Amino acid sequence: MVEEDVAVPAPRYWDRPAVTVPVFAALAAVGGQFPGFTREANLFTLAVGGVFVWVGLAGWVRQPGRLPGGWRPHAVWWLLPAAVFGVLESATFLLGSSDDYPTFSRLADPLLEREVVRSVGYFGWLAAFWGLVRR
Amino acid sequence: MSLTRAVAIGGFLFAMGLFVAVEWAARREGSRVPTLGDVCGYVMRYEVGRVPVGRIVLLVFWWWIGWHFLAR
Repeated sequence: MVEEDVAVPAPRYWDRPAVTVPVFAALAAVGGQFPGFTREANLFTLAVGGVFVWVGLAGWVRQPGRLPGGWRPHAVWWLLPAAVFGVLESATFLLGSSDDYPTFSRLADPLLEREVVRSVGYFGWLAAFWGLVRR
Repeated sequence: MSLTRAVAIGGFLFAMGLFVAVEWAARREGSRVPTLGDVCGYVMRYEVGRVPVGRIVLLVFWWWIGWHFLAR
């Protein structure tokens, strides 16, 4: 893979794990308090997600010093799991997303009824954001 | 558990196994398959004119995933 060094601006004082991890953990702990399908949970994901998308688009997060190269033909291998997942999700959704034909999120719902699992889910969601915006 | 439910669960587990397998293959020494992070990085840098289309699409998708699983 071809990688190139690029100039990297100094990170902002809050852009480091010692700050972001506790902040994410606190947000995840709060988010986990709100059961799914409630107004509070909707407002929380809307507010937190909105702020984070704004941060991501505003370029406030430090970009990596080494960028991966351009498009590589072997990336098409990723279409295989994506297609299997997509076909299953589409089929179960079109069949009504019932107990007999569950979508992925319907299967996840019983797990996410537990507060601690929701908090872990929120933390993973926020961590995924951090990984994404550094790309 | 009905047969169709078992097939759906097995299928989703199979799909997740495929994601793990492709990522594992990508991380092998000398692999020509990019990691999922590399693919995301490529999409994130896709722009049309000066509009960061790839960045917007992936961040909105990220938000939707969180809302869909954790709130809706």
